[in-house]
Amino acid sequence: MSYEMIALMMFLSLVMLLITGQRFFGAVGFVAAASSLLLWGDGGAEMPFNAAIVLLNWYPLLTLPLFIFMGYILSESGIASDLYKMFHVFMGPIPGGLALGTIVLMVAISAMNGLSVAGMAIGSSIALPEMLKRGYDKKMISGVIQAGSSLGIMIPPSIVLVLYGMIARQPVSQLWLAGVFPGLLLAAMFAIYIIVRCKLQPKMGPALPPEERNLPFNEKLKLLGAGIMPLFIVFSVTGLFMMGVTNLVESSAVGAAAAMIAAAIKGRLTRKVMNSALHDTLGVSCMFMWIIMAALSFGAVFDGLGAVNAIKSLFLENWGLSPWGVLIMMQLSYIVMGMFLDDTAMLVIVAPLYIPLIIQLGFNPVWYGVLYTITCQIAYMTPPFGYNLFLMKAMAPKEITLMDIYASIVPFVIVMTTGLGLIMAFPEIATYLPDLYFAG
Amino acid sequence: MLRPIRAYVRFVDRLNTIVGKFAMLLIFLMMGILLCESISRTFFDTPHIWTMESAQFTMAAYYMLGGGFSLLMRAHVRMDVLYSRWFTKTKAKVDRFTIFFMLFYLGVLLYGGISSASYSLKYGQHNHTAWAPPLAPIKIVMVIGIILMLLQAIATFFKDFAKARGEDLS
Repeated sequence: MSYEMIALMMFLSLVMLLITGQRFFGAVGFVAAASSLLLWGDGGAEMPFNAAIVLLNWYPLLTLPLFIFMGYILSESGIASDLYKMFHVFMGPIPGGLALGTIVLMVAISAMNGLSVAGMAIGSSIALPEMLKRGYDKKMISGVIQAGSSLGIMIPPSIVLVLYGMIARQPVSQLWLAGVFPGLLLAAMFAIYIIVRCKLQPKMGPALPPEERNLPFNEKLKLLGAGIMPLFIVFSVTGLFMMGVTNLVESSAVGAAAAMIAAAIKGRLTRKVMNSALHDTLGVSCMFMWIIMAALSFGAVFDGLGAVNAIKSLFLENWGLSPWGVLIMMQLSYIVMGMFLDDTAMLVIVAPLYIPLIIQLGFNPVWYGVLYTITCQIAYMTPPFGYNLFLMKAMAPKEITLMDIYASIVPFVIVMTTGLGLIMAFPEIATYLPDLYFAG
Repeated sequence: MLRPIRAYVRFVDRLNTIVGKFAMLLIFLMMGILLCESISRTFFDTPHIWTMESAQFTMAAYYMLGGGFSLLMRAHVRMDVLYSRWFTKTKAKVDRFTIFFMLFYLGVLLYGGISSASYSLKYGQHNHTAWAPPLAPIKIVMVIGIILMLLQAIATFFKDFAKARGEDLS
């Protein structure tokens, strides 16, 4: 059997196993262990544990539990709801103002946090009930929260970009900087869409009645104070890291400590909050780490088979694609796979195949990291099996049906695809900041 | 279900809960090490050579020892396109069969872990770094984590088996 056939068999048996609903890490690990035993006999038996040793030596992975812990503490700390109250009063008068406020809130959350799930949880617990109460259209609400939460992995700190950096062997600081403008660009495009849509159809997002927004001046001033704490947290993570005071891993520890301080100041650092944050952090971290461990041995078998070259020859020789054709094929395949897999899974299984090819074709791997994250976000939002769609359904109240959610994301997917196209056409949007910062 | 099996499931659940609650706290040790290092380097200009590896080793202990507990807490994702639509009983029926794939992986992982740890013990293997810590202790911790995961997976199998027959073990 040729190597290409073996690689294809591995992939197919993985998909079959996954469909049975067995735990992800078990399915991936089984295919990896079984195929390395079949291919290399006794020597292959050591491979799964070797992957565990590789994992042990991946220093940037330490950011994972720390950022997750930070996210849980932040969402319990009440910082987000204070911020939202501020945006609520200042943006309420505009049609669609609360939706705009939600986008701005998401940008702020993204700058304090590395996962898109956190934004979704905060958005659906804080912003969603408010908008529902004010008679916003259900489709607008669910779309805004999903689109907004996708900014979480673009704006630093971003866990997905840390993982990407490890796989592509690119410096995380450059990747983080590269995510800033594209993230803000998408946020601005979402905002423009909301303004235009609500101007045309005021029913989508009615403006707040004046009695709700006419607060006395010093009340308003007090609300502005809600912005101080987030600034302190953003500075402690991204600021100190970019100034070179802390390294990447240390900055995540500083961030976790800052989040705990902020929660303590607000009097929210109770035993119960702490306990549930610790449990959830352990659960999510273990899930990630065991998947990455299994996927590393899967990747090692693929490497041994020379799968990268097989894909290269398939794309370039058999299908006669140009470099840009290959790039677009890859993005399309992510969108198809994103209907079934989550971002970590795609990153650890598929990206190791694609990234070397991207570098060989002469594309900038930092820029590709940004394209990759946007594409993944689009992929989770595409029906029928987007990961975000189900998460949204699980978090939203009963009156928002899955059909509402499906319908709600269409305009936002169009906006995001346009943004993706812009960044592909003008790579400077992503590369300007890292080039500027690392020019000297 | 047989008595010894019930006893086994209860024992493993409790064991992994205790170990998991301990592992949970290791995140503070990680934070402590990293914060101390950044403070001591920035303000006192005295970096240490041992911080990076000790933080890394703590991290490994965190997710390896916490593995069994995370399985108990059902923290591991599945691809639930079909799975989420099945009845609880159907889920259990499929799981009690497919869990053997996971057990196989954990078995191979354990085999490699034991062989690697005993190599490190026998030849006193050290890391190739300035601090050069011995590798055997962390490898033994990792092996213990794999064993805990394996024990929990077997307990999960028994639970699924019982659930498929309409009984409840947990």
